[in-house]
Amino acid sequence: MRSLKKSAFLAPLALVGSVVVVGLFVFGPTSAQAASNTSVTASTRPAPTTTSPNLFTSGSTSTTRPSGYTVPTPRSTTSTTIPGVTTLGGSQPYVAPTGTPGLAYLNLPAAFLKPGQALFAANCATCHGNQAEGSSRAPNLQGLGSGTVDFWVSTGRMPLENDAVQATRKPPKFNQLQTLQMAAWVQSLTPGVGTQIPVVNTSKANLSNGQQYFTLNCAACHTITGAGDALANGAYAPTLHLAKPYQVVEAIRSGPGNMPRFGSGNITNAQARDIAAYVVGVLQHPANPGGYALGGVGPVGEGFVGLLIGVGTLMLICFWIGDRT
Amino acid sequence: MIDETIDKSLNWVDDRLGTAKSGKTFLDKIFPDHWSFMLGEIALYSFVVLLATGVFLTLYYVPSSHDVIYNGSYIPLRGQHVSEAYSSSVALSFDVKSGLLMRQAHHWAADIFLGAMAVHMGRIVLTGAFRKPRELNFLIGVTMLMLGIVNGFLGYSLPDDLVSGTGIRIAYSIIESVPLVGSYLAFWLFGGNFPGDGSIIPRFFIIHVLIVPLIILGLLGAHLGLLVKQKHTQFKGPHRTEKNVVGTPMFPTFMAKTTGFLFMSTAVTFLLAGFAQINPFWQFGPYHPYQISYAVQPDWYMGWLDGALRIMPSWEWVGYGHTWPLEVFLPAVLFPGIIFNIFYAWPFLEARITKNRDYHNLLDSPRDRPKHTGAVVAMMALMLMVFLASSTDVLANFFNVPLQDTLWFFRFAVPIVPVIAGWLAYKICEELRHEDGAGKRKRASVVLRTEAGEYESIPSEPRPGDDHHELEPIEIPAFIDLVGADLATGEGVRRVLR
Amino acid sequence: MSSSTSNGQKPVPVDLPQLRPLAKRPEHTQVLIIICMLLGIAGFIGFMVAYWVGNQSQWQAASLGGGMLFFGFGVTAWGKYLMPRGPFVEERHDFDSSTSARSEFNAVITQRGGLVAKRRGVLLGLLALGSGLVGLALAFPLLRSLGPNPSKDTSAGNTNDSLSNTNWVKGSTVVTVDNRRVKVDDLEVGGVLTVFPAGNAGSSPDQVILIRLDNAQAAQAAPGRADWGCQGIVAFSKLCTHLGCPVGLYQQQTQQLVCPCHQSIFNVNAGCVPEFGPAPRPLPQLPITATSDGYLVANGSFNQPVGPGFWERP
Repeated sequence: MRSLKKSAFLAPLALVGSVVVVGLFVFGPTSAQAASNTSVTASTRPAPTTTSPNLFTSGSTSTTRPSGYTVPTPRSTTSTTIPGVTTLGGSQPYVAPTGTPGLAYLNLPAAFLKPGQALFAANCATCHGNQAEGSSRAPNLQGLGSGTVDFWVSTGRMPLENDAVQATRKPPKFNQLQTLQMAAWVQSLTPGVGTQIPVVNTSKANLSNGQQYFTLNCAACHTITGAGDALANGAYAPTLHLAKPYQVVEAIRSGPGNMPRFGSGNITNAQARDIAAYVVGVLQHPANPGGYALGGVGPVGEGFVGLLIGVGTLMLICFWIGDRT
Repeated sequence: MIDETIDKSLNWVDDRLGTAKSGKTFLDKIFPDHWSFMLGEIALYSFVVLLATGVFLTLYYVPSSHDVIYNGSYIPLRGQHVSEAYSSSVALSFDVKSGLLMRQAHHWAADIFLGAMAVHMGRIVLTGAFRKPRELNFLIGVTMLMLGIVNGFLGYSLPDDLVSGTGIRIAYSIIESVPLVGSYLAFWLFGGNFPGDGSIIPRFFIIHVLIVPLIILGLLGAHLGLLVKQKHTQFKGPHRTEKNVVGTPMFPTFMAKTTGFLFMSTAVTFLLAGFAQINPFWQFGPYHPYQISYAVQPDWYMGWLDGALRIMPSWEWVGYGHTWPLEVFLPAVLFPGIIFNIFYAWPFLEARITKNRDYHNLLDSPRDRPKHTGAVVAMMALMLMVFLASSTDVLANFFNVPLQDTLWFFRFAVPIVPVIAGWLAYKICEELRHEDGAGKRKRASVVLRTEAGEYESIPSEPRPGDDHHELEPIEIPAFIDLVGADLATGEGVRRVLR
Repeated sequence: MSSSTSNGQKPVPVDLPQLRPLAKRPEHTQVLIIICMLLGIAGFIGFMVAYWVGNQSQWQAASLGGGMLFFGFGVTAWGKYLMPRGPFVEERHDFDSSTSARSEFNAVITQRGGLVAKRRGVLLGLLALGSGLVGLALAFPLLRSLGPNPSKDTSAGNTNDSLSNTNWVKGSTVVTVDNRRVKVDDLEVGGVLTVFPAGNAGSSPDQVILIRLDNAQAAQAAPGRADWGCQGIVAFSKLCTHLGCPVGLYQQQTQQLVCPCHQSIFNVNAGCVPEFGPAPRPLPQLPITATSDGYLVANGSFNQPVGPGFWERP
């Protein structure tokens, strides 16, 4: 009887509880954000490239998809602008796109040569020589092109900090303008030869193609999630999660370090653009609607979580339920 | 009133099935309360979750290798040629409501299922619960562990993504490595040279959802049936003998606890499923045999095989006009065969070595049998080391050392660490065993310095809890009348013994 | 109540401590349990709502999982704290039957069975033979119907019927996975490209990795096979000789191919001999040449089976 009496106020409590929960879900933060998705567009603010693109389409036959991943930024905003280039007075800094919408190569102005040479002489010539001809300590840079220089300097790998097996990515020492000036000077030593600096407009890219060509050409070293991993002899494939689109294309074309070189006969301009778009649009902002991504290292992390948190929590519960003597 | 209704319906059942006698025995079954006896329940309840979520997944998964164009809602895959299996896997994750939650719950439950079985088995082996008369149940348990590993691999393969497809490729090569019949087995199973004629996914599917679960279900019934028939083991303690079981009865106490635990196990699985992403195969893309990702590992329970494959030297042998791919056959076929045969033979080997063939219903503390514990720890260390060897590349990257160095480390560590670990465990147990009063509560002493400068130690007065007080176990009451009773004081409770 | 008296069982004393709950203050505990179970029920209702209003895994998991956690906690706590704490005891009975029962049972097998079997030993033998054979007979369709036998024919042809064959023959046009023909200059020095024989793009056993070395290295790349390459481009089977993973990881500076699966390292400069890891054999090399208009073609087929080892491999 006693328990029956208790249940008399059990029902209203349940009702109240459920109403609270219903309210939580109806007026909760997620649904509010979802509602505003349609009204707030990217036009109201300059969308930084760091915001996650929406990797899901609503154009399919399905009506439901994980809403946890919708973000208000359309993905057509990940194009790269290089400050300091477009603001240079005078001529248009880009060469005309060569048949590939979305990937063009930068035409560096002649005004860059002088400051570029000065910067090179002050910072690089000790190792690479006054005419970038190389020395016993450092390779010849002539003929490598402006894109190669831009890759090494803009990723902070040059100037080298120590004599590790492999140069590591770090905050760049030079700003974008200085980098381009040096690149322009090195390019001027061998006009028309080597890797040029690309300008990638990823809004024209096909992510699906990018996925396929990334998997075919890049995943074997950089892993399918772009996390990177150790290679033979102490080298490693670096993570791609920090790469800018133009750096991706520069790396593809110039083959820095142990990375193979892919010319335009191997990976076409369109494919390079798609790969760059996939790297920055998907790998750097992966769709993780299933929750925390556990570092993206696959079953190793999942196994640890499954065993330590899953089985571990349940063992703790056992420990509470059972006797401990 | 309500009692009479229940009475009537129970009688109705008993008239037809005669369940009352065995039912009473079942409800009176005593479960010892030690927490480590619940580890098997984690596995049991994960299996329940696996069945429930698995049924949900079969409603949407299409076991087919047919080439289709993915046209679902995940943009980076749209327009790609993928297998129908992959397409439907992505679709059930994104385009089926709650599909992602169910799929992740299924995968987490599998990880927990196998982990719980391993931990459960560790408890059984360490405490000696496998001894007579429970050898048969131990064999059943080992078989379920093996089937669980197999089924985990099959299920992991079904989405046909790049990572799991690589796993299938490796499985093909492992089958191929078996001397004499390997290439025939591989050709039959896959329907030709890899990747075969597209029959492997449907075959894996039917084995994964029907054949293996059915066998596990049967073995599970036998496992629990034998548990009821042979009754639970228990740790040594006051009033506990080889001839009794002390604990709580099946009904209602244990039933309440374990029902709650079912809920909590499911809860942990679903919380992981919602907040920790597992196997995001939409990021991996479909499998093509010419594509590969670095840092691909199998799920954790296959890791020990992968590790064994990695550390094996390249000892292919060509002789008698044939190629003997020992670098694959030894670590991937013979090694697991030996390991599981050791598991199977363990109860009988131990009985033979210790010459102890008595009934054992009381468990040993691991420290009381140092040699046994040393052997078990060595075995565990071996499994752990080959398991860790499966992540040489991840470790090399993490610790920034060359790949070759981590591999060489494991080539030495795999044989050496188990020996050290086993020896250490043996010594620790020896020490603990000879420690006077080890494991008992300590009572404070007051140390006095006399005026002459001598020290004197006087045991303090016993405080509550210093001396563990154990109630004497009583017969299970057949009937506890709670009407109008006050449980706190025991007032108004009428109890009747059997 | 009526049943207890009719069974004639005697009442036990009410003050047995074993029958008291474990909780020191059961009423307080009960309130906590009620709260837990209510939270659980609220979670279940919340799941329905979460499902109804959207499809977010996190809300669904939080409501369902959280609900079950609270609910289960409540139910378990009910059993642990409010039900009679025990301990209770149950006697064990011997598993083995009595000696007489055993001998009777054994006698049925040995004597009754023996009576029948020994007199007609032939029949017993036939029974055993027939039972075994019926199992064997069933194994025929069960195993043999699954797939074809590997072909013994080692001439290049359909790769699906033999482990030894590929579709590469002398004159096979080299194409990419997109069926694009490959020119020598499509590869830069230090570049790699995955290719197939024309008509078999994407086929597993036919996959080949083209590597362009500078000419000095290419001469070293294949000792005794200097003319197997073409202007510094060498072609190797992309199937690892360990377990058949695609060896797609090329380190340009050190000229090493690394298998991403089990980290076998092949030295491209010495004809892709394995220098580390579990792979036992060099990657088979495919001789290639260029046509007059600059497109790459195979100049022969592989001189050995590609991929991992198997019994019939010569």
